[in-house]
Amino acid sequence: MSTTTLTPPADLARPSAPSAGRIPSAARALATLAGRRAALTSRTPRQIAVPLLGPLLLALIAAPALKQATGGLRSHIDYAAFIDIGTIGLLVPLSCIFAGLSVIIDREQGAQRELLSAPVPRAYLVLGNLAVALGLAALQVVVLLALAALRGAHFTITASGLAWFVAATLLFSVFIYGVAETLASRVHKQEDYIAAIPAVAILPFFFAGALFPIGAMPAALATIAKFMPLTHALALMRYAFVDPRGTGLHAIWGMSNVTVEAWLSLAVVAVFALALTAISVRVFSRSAVG
Amino acid sequence: MHDRMVEVNGLRKTYPGGVEAVRGLDFEIAAGEVFGLLGPNGAGKTTTVGMLSTTIAPSAGSARIAGFDVARQAIEARSVSSVVFQNAVVDRNLSGRANLMLHARLWAVAPREASTRIAELVDALGLGALVDRNAGSYSGGERRRLEIARALISRPRVLFLDEPTVGLDPRIRHELLDLLADVRGREETTILLTTHYLEEAQRLCDRVAIIHRGQIVALEAPDTLLADLGREVLELRVGGEASLARAALGAHGVPIETAFAVGSTLTVPLQDTSAGDVMAALDQAGVTASAISSRRPTLDDVYLRLTGDRLDAAA
Repeated sequence: MSTTTLTPPADLARPSAPSAGRIPSAARALATLAGRRAALTSRTPRQIAVPLLGPLLLALIAAPALKQATGGLRSHIDYAAFIDIGTIGLLVPLSCIFAGLSVIIDREQGAQRELLSAPVPRAYLVLGNLAVALGLAALQVVVLLALAALRGAHFTITASGLAWFVAATLLFSVFIYGVAETLASRVHKQEDYIAAIPAVAILPFFFAGALFPIGAMPAALATIAKFMPLTHALALMRYAFVDPRGTGLHAIWGMSNVTVEAWLSLAVVAVFALALTAISVRVFSRSAVG
Repeated sequence: MHDRMVEVNGLRKTYPGGVEAVRGLDFEIAAGEVFGLLGPNGAGKTTTVGMLSTTIAPSAGSARIAGFDVARQAIEARSVSSVVFQNAVVDRNLSGRANLMLHARLWAVAPREASTRIAELVDALGLGALVDRNAGSYSGGERRRLEIARALISRPRVLFLDEPTVGLDPRIRHELLDLLADVRGREETTILLTTHYLEEAQRLCDRVAIIHRGQIVALEAPDTLLADLGREVLELRVGGEASLARAALGAHGVPIETAFAVGSTLTVPLQDTSAGDVMAALDQAGVTASAISSRRPTLDDVYLRLTGDRLDAAA
């Protein structure tokens, strides 16, 4: 094989400081990326409806039926409303996991490479998707609670309760979207991703006290449940709307001050949310760039 | 204005598993130049574009786009460049216009300027009847035109075109080449074009780097590369190994430094000899030849002489 000496044209001259092109502000870049994701999501109505369907049937049909069949919790808490809130523990994971599927579709059929070549930090691609996933989950939660209320569920909503509920739901959604985005970055095929849905979205629902208090489980399982962010998130959501005495929070922490227990549970969910968001950004950035 | 728009030094990429896709590239591209990376599939062209557009991390070496290091100043490097990828990279569920607007926003083009620019490019690239349709309904050629328009919206200083005509039928390919030639005339953009089509490189590029198994084996203007083979080559099919026939020609006094043999085909540049001399020498050596033709040399001949492979066969 022969080689040729590589000689650049003679008119090349070493320049002074280079000048960058235009780079969008963080707000504009995030708004653009979230707007793109929202536009794509609005064109796939199944992404909005499908995650809602199962939890909705659980809240509207199974919750009152279970209350009637079992006689309820025999406490100040309405069992049907208890399950309605527990259903959020299924709805949010399903919603966020479905949202994560769009990352794989982007990679296989969409404009992910174009986005990767844009002058924005790669973390923004994850955060733009996250913003839309949160909005969609919030919409679905509102629909679920509104229909449960129309069915006859009684929620006690105060300003502080609403704040606890929003914080817990938001942080839990951030956590579970981080799981979804990480999974989507690690898994190459849609089929493999879908196969992981039961383990990621459904299994925790049965261990986190969604349908019954965690104290009703064997002690070992109840201990495991205390380490799951969903357990803390559901206890907070119930403390906010159906369990002002914080029975679920006491079952986790065993302390006398329910406000302290609520802050501790919120901190647990926040730590999980921050950790998974950081991990998802890192995994996406590393896997997207070969 | 930065005069060296692309500077590549010792750039290497080794994928997990030890596959060395790019093995130490060195080249520079001047402002306004159209530079071709010519080689078959698997030569390392797309990996090179990936590293320069910061969508693939280099294993070693460095590269600068308009003065910005692609590893340490990746966002700045991306801000001055655009890419037309080898495979379709569009949001199929969005309209062509939405795809164009997305690029404009991400490259921080002001809204009014973006509208003007999109109108101008839609007109120039013949997208008027398509632009408000879903991109998923576009044909291959239409989608490629959309991607070229999208890449130009931000007026990139460096445009990467990775095999822009691959997979298109011949008519669309020629239309697209006309369009790229037009883009070259209208836009003040430095272009790095990868291709395994020789006529694309000859037609569009100021200089061409021939890349073979991750290394550059020649880098010159197309005319200079062709000049090494003279104005005419004689191509003939011989009985048996053409390399033996080549050696026989040399033994009978025909200059064979630039002649090359692949399988049973022998190609002899007619620089310092004539077709008659070659045929006479073969006759004296007892070599039978058929399918004899003379023609102008092409970049395929250059590639073949340098690598022993045919571009189109390897592609």
